[in-house]
Amino acid sequence: MNQFTFEGREKSVLIGGMILGLVCLVLSFFIDGSPHASEIHSRFWTNFLHNAVFFTGIAFVSLFAICAAISAYAGWYAVIKRIWEAYSLFLIVGLVMMTVIVIGVWGHFHHLYHWAGEGVTTVGSETYDAVIAGKSGFLNPTFYTVATIGFLSVFYFLFAVPIRRMSISEDKAGTADYAIHRKIKVYAAAFLPIAAFSSCALIWLWMMSIEPHWYSTMYAWYTTASWFVSALALTLLTIIYLKSRGFLVDVTDEHIHDLGKLLFAFSVFWTYLWFSQFMLIWYANVGEETTYFKTRRDEYPVLFFGNLIMNFGLPFLILMRNDTKRKFGTVGFAAALVLFGHWWDFFYMIKPGVIKELSHAEGAHGALPSVAGFDYPHLLELGIFIGFLSLFFYFVFNQLTKATLRPAGDPYYAESIHHHS
Amino acid sequence: MSAVVSPIREPLITGSKTYHQITEDIVSPTERVPNASWVAGFILSIATLSFGLFCIGYTIWVGIGTWDLNRTIGWGWDITNFVWWIGIGHAGTLISAILLLFRQKWRTGVNRAAEAMTIFAVMCAGLFPLIHMGRIWLAFFIFPYPNTRGPLWVNFNSPLLWDVFAISTYFTVSLLFWYTGLVPDFATVRDRAKGLRKNIYNFLSFGWTGKAKHWQRWESLSLILAGLATPLVLSVHTIVSFDFATSVIPGWHTTIFPPYFVAGAIFSGFAMVLTLMIITRKILKLEDYITVNHIESMNKVILLTGTIVGTAYLTELFIAWYSGYIYEQFAFYNRALGVYWWSYFGMMACNVLSPQIFWIKKYRRSIFITFFMSIFVNIGMWFERFVIIATTLARDYLPSSWSYYVPTWVEIGIYLGTFGLFMTLYLIFVRVAPVVAIAEVKSILKTSGDQYAQENARSNYDKMLNEKPHHEEHAH
Repeated sequence: MNQFTFEGREKSVLIGGMILGLVCLVLSFFIDGSPHASEIHSRFWTNFLHNAVFFTGIAFVSLFAICAAISAYAGWYAVIKRIWEAYSLFLIVGLVMMTVIVIGVWGHFHHLYHWAGEGVTTVGSETYDAVIAGKSGFLNPTFYTVATIGFLSVFYFLFAVPIRRMSISEDKAGTADYAIHRKIKVYAAAFLPIAAFSSCALIWLWMMSIEPHWYSTMYAWYTTASWFVSALALTLLTIIYLKSRGFLVDVTDEHIHDLGKLLFAFSVFWTYLWFSQFMLIWYANVGEETTYFKTRRDEYPVLFFGNLIMNFGLPFLILMRNDTKRKFGTVGFAAALVLFGHWWDFFYMIKPGVIKELSHAEGAHGALPSVAGFDYPHLLELGIFIGFLSLFFYFVFNQLTKATLRPAGDPYYAESIHHHS
Repeated sequence: MSAVVSPIREPLITGSKTYHQITEDIVSPTERVPNASWVAGFILSIATLSFGLFCIGYTIWVGIGTWDLNRTIGWGWDITNFVWWIGIGHAGTLISAILLLFRQKWRTGVNRAAEAMTIFAVMCAGLFPLIHMGRIWLAFFIFPYPNTRGPLWVNFNSPLLWDVFAISTYFTVSLLFWYTGLVPDFATVRDRAKGLRKNIYNFLSFGWTGKAKHWQRWESLSLILAGLATPLVLSVHTIVSFDFATSVIPGWHTTIFPPYFVAGAIFSGFAMVLTLMIITRKILKLEDYITVNHIESMNKVILLTGTIVGTAYLTELFIAWYSGYIYEQFAFYNRALGVYWWSYFGMMACNVLSPQIFWIKKYRRSIFITFFMSIFVNIGMWFERFVIIATTLARDYLPSSWSYYVPTWVEIGIYLGTFGLFMTLYLIFVRVAPVVAIAEVKSILKTSGDQYAQENARSNYDKMLNEKPHHEEHAH
């Protein structure tokens, strides 16, 4: 059982999930209590941006993880590399999704980014904002477009696709000569710095600029950590599912244990970044900065504390023990929780900011209006999450059918099967 | 330990060693009379240390006025040196703890010396805040002991106090970790010794006999300490970064400081490990245990952390512009183009640009280049702290307070003195303890010795490729 088959039943379930997601997404276009909903449909657009960024990021960090593993001579990961390869190819879907956001920026279909609004950077205009005007060398539709489409294209066409192609050709080339592996190493090493610099710009543009006055140097690293934990959680869930179907016989408890350790370690790392960012802003107590956390803590307590409970408290306690990292039940539960938790984290980063900007644009001060679909994930948002998750898995399963799940030509493959954690 | 090793991996022990040869090679330097270069080095170290002690004494006797600090620049070389030494003290515990958790076999060649270096570097670092208090005889005030001073307590809100806790915890755990690793090796030294020497090493090794139970406990203790030390490696420099970042000084108050300081600390720590190991392996003839492969791995860590630090520098610079906050923008303008432009330039050149030569394999494997780079990196990391501290303070909100600072001979003397202290301790260490972890190197011989690696591993490897893992039946 080394060749994955994408069964009809799986396709039906995933297509069902996608239809559910689509229906919910369309409904959120109309059922929307946010300001100017009939013109700019913020509930729909924030939901779309939220999920697009979340899953594109998972694809991006999967590629990053492959490159990091190859550069670090990691042996253990060879048995799961097909999963990360399949994830990384999802960048192409991410490119399409983010292009939709780009089109929205140019057409003013949405108001996700106040800096893209008309007159915001024009001196003398009613909506002129001097602070945003000062940033317009970076925050402008042209750069947003070039960076989004340019960087994602580079990630996908220059790295994800060639690495995948070389990895598959390694299956046939045998183990005698590692020429292909040496070539992959060059691509992997080159990707790391390119990804490190460009992803920061993308995160600032896609997410931090939603609240264009606010800034934090930690933001990009924090977001990347959130993506990485999500990718690890998805990997565990995918492995558990594939094993339940009888695939991935070479993946043992030892690999599950190591992935569990990584999930634990990077949940703590995420918390470390969360705490560092929060603590420094809270302690210094500068109004321009505290507004980000004060809004979220006072007016979105469900989001604020839910984030910490799901992404730190529970995984920390559940994965603390040795055996819980090895049992499918506990590690699978923790992975599902943390995946949802980090999806929630992106919700927390995006949604309150959009409401705040919309209210402030109207000159409102004080408490923000509580708006369904922005205060916490409602049923429609959950449906949309299921839809995007189904899309992701449909794409990934389809990629898995295209190559063996047992890439024995990898120079570390035997090491990986006999791995001890 | 899995015996299946990819033939693509380079050996970590060369020279077809046997277990006995490993013991001979590593223990024998402690059994010989020190050679002339050691004695010369030791005299030089002690002399430097003595001058440093004199300068410290002078500072305590006369007061902090012997330094060139002024009302604008209240922190100069003292805190710069403190942060610099603390940073260097990160690599040891990183190598022992995090690389142990990641099962990196190459750590065994360098972990012992790196841990020792960590402990000595933290000792050097600890000196500076103590002296800077001015009234060193009141230093015990920083400990929150049940006090006799009525309502007078330490300031629990201050990151400087958190430093006391973080560093003392880190020092304790690092020391325990280092000593735990030394126990079986001291026993090895004892087994070859006679008379008083035997008794001393027997005492130091806690009467280790090498029973299975001893090894089992030793391994669990190592893992537990590794688990404790891992968050500590991050916490120490995180809290050092809080000394600056919790303030509202433009250029200091930035949220990226914690992870960026940690990355910088690992960067400088690895550089110092390289400086020391390149000399040590040559003098003690340990080239078979600290191979070019080890040096290449460490150079990769240098390249990685140097680039992380570079990302952080550019992030700071960018966000300073992006913030739209003129004081923040000025702080960075002043760093790059102000009176201390040369230190910013030195920092960028040494920390970000120069490590990029390690993209080329030939340079990563060149001992000569690595040695110079390792010193370069530490110069750069010293500049980084100087840029953050003195440059930022030199230009505050009031132009009438603007100032310039150069150290006095006393400050320079104290800094030199810490080198003396560091080298004295290190030279004593190489005389009394095995510089390479004997037991740990032996544990990887069968997988990473050159008689077992690469082409010699291939036949077994190809066989294992089609064999199921033993614990398959336990998998669900």
